[in-house]
Amino acid sequence: MNVIEVHNLSHHYNGKTVYQDLSFTVPQGSICGLLGKNGQGKTTLVNILMGFLKPSGGRCLVLGESSHSLSPDVRKRIGLLHEGHQAYEFMTIAQTEKFYRGFYPDWNADIFYSLVNKMGLPHRHKVGSMSCGQRSQVVLGVIMAQNPDLLILDDYSMGLDAGYRRLFLDVLHDFAAMEGKTIFVTSHIVQDLEQLVDTIFFLDQGRITRTGLTEFLGSFKKYVFHSNSQVVPIEDEIIKGVERRRDQFTVYSYRDQDTVTEQLSRQGVEVRDLHRADMTLEDGFIGLMGKY
Amino acid sequence: MISSILLKEWLKLKYLFAGVLVLNIGVCLKIYFDIRGLILSEHPEMIWYEAIHLHNVFFKDFMFFPLVTGLVLAAAQFVPEIIRRRMRISLHLPLHRDLLILLSVVTGLFFFMVAVGISVVLVYSTMRSWFPLEVSMTVLTTMGPWILAGILGYLGGMAVLLEPLKTRKVFLTIVFSVIISVMYMGVGYGWMSPAMPYLVWLVPLFLFCVFNSGQRFQQRGA
Repeated sequence: MNVIEVHNLSHHYNGKTVYQDLSFTVPQGSICGLLGKNGQGKTTLVNILMGFLKPSGGRCLVLGESSHSLSPDVRKRIGLLHEGHQAYEFMTIAQTEKFYRGFYPDWNADIFYSLVNKMGLPHRHKVGSMSCGQRSQVVLGVIMAQNPDLLILDDYSMGLDAGYRRLFLDVLHDFAAMEGKTIFVTSHIVQDLEQLVDTIFFLDQGRITRTGLTEFLGSFKKYVFHSNSQVVPIEDEIIKGVERRRDQFTVYSYRDQDTVTEQLSRQGVEVRDLHRADMTLEDGFIGLMGKY
Repeated sequence: MISSILLKEWLKLKYLFAGVLVLNIGVCLKIYFDIRGLILSEHPEMIWYEAIHLHNVFFKDFMFFPLVTGLVLAAAQFVPEIIRRRMRISLHLPLHRDLLILLSVVTGLFFFMVAVGISVVLVYSTMRSWFPLEVSMTVLTTMGPWILAGILGYLGGMAVLLEPLKTRKVFLTIVFSVIISVMYMGVGYGWMSPAMPYLVWLVPLFLFCVFNSGQRFQQRGA
């Protein structure tokens, strides 16, 4: 069963095409990461999925309902983390818990307080006077206490230090281990997603590509070599990405070492000590999408 | 669910509500001392002539306070929601958008009526201290359009704050300003009494402007 279904989605903003004929599905129980450079429309896509934007064309279904007219019953099943860890800053911790409790029948105050109490703040502490990291814990507590079926996180790592990001990942891992729970996440810290997701969506220039994490890390390869030649490798069908630091070059490709060496020679690049190197998801992301 | 919304609205309103309440009571005290001073310094026939023949409204200092109260309460409720688009939090709650907005409006109007209602009682009591019942009762009919202007200011403020398009914001501001200015066109005791029942029935129609702005707020990126 698909939790999210997007068919032929089109969206335009200020005369610019953001997406054209975008289609993808998110199956129940999967942990999907949406990756794309800044300005590629990740937050716009989340806004469309949550009914905060009406797309120009196409169809988006979330838990079986059209995304721009989600019923309260379906919204009850979706835990949503807004970009920037949005929270009502005029509320205290206790008031936040009291406010949300009234909306969710499965609300678990113990989960909320177990996450929030880690900060050691009194429950009368105002959300508005918290740091970004502390506020993120309150928001995480709110989402987890709802016991949602689908979790949509829009750049959860924004403004968080390594400790809070790790805390987030720990909680998300526990959530993902529960039966039938689905996570759809965007983050600008790509290496964090490597520890969490099983499926990746690359969003680039209005197109989306879906791949399994293991499949991607196995098939996309990073090669390193040295060269003093003036000829720099050019991206083409075989060479997907190029990085250079002084005389050390890194190229990315789906092809094997021999094919890449042959292609570089064909381009007139002098190659010395070419070998395959370990590749992180962040390396792969840069190799595939480029730096800017 | 409803108690959660009421809690949220109260937390946003409490300080500014206290502020406008103090302001309203303050102007009522000023009206009391002004009328008291007038009674002590002028002949009763002169005061009667001013009130009945010259239509001098002794409590006209109160005129714009319901409007200010309405605007302040609308801002107190909705400025925190539109800053950094925080209303998305509420729009994602398992509650219909229009019901969410309606509950906010009802809460805001309740506090508006408390603040303005206390003022009406105080001004009526002041008038009743020195004037006959018939003259004192005109406090209600004279203040009616001002209170209506306050309600329209409240609804207009909400509609303008929620509206995402600048051109529509300007349009709504003009429409509400014109309608509100009608409430201040006349002078004298109970000058708008014949039209008041019709105007009161028109108020719920303006609620649809707020619903419409709320819908557009949500579907244009919230």
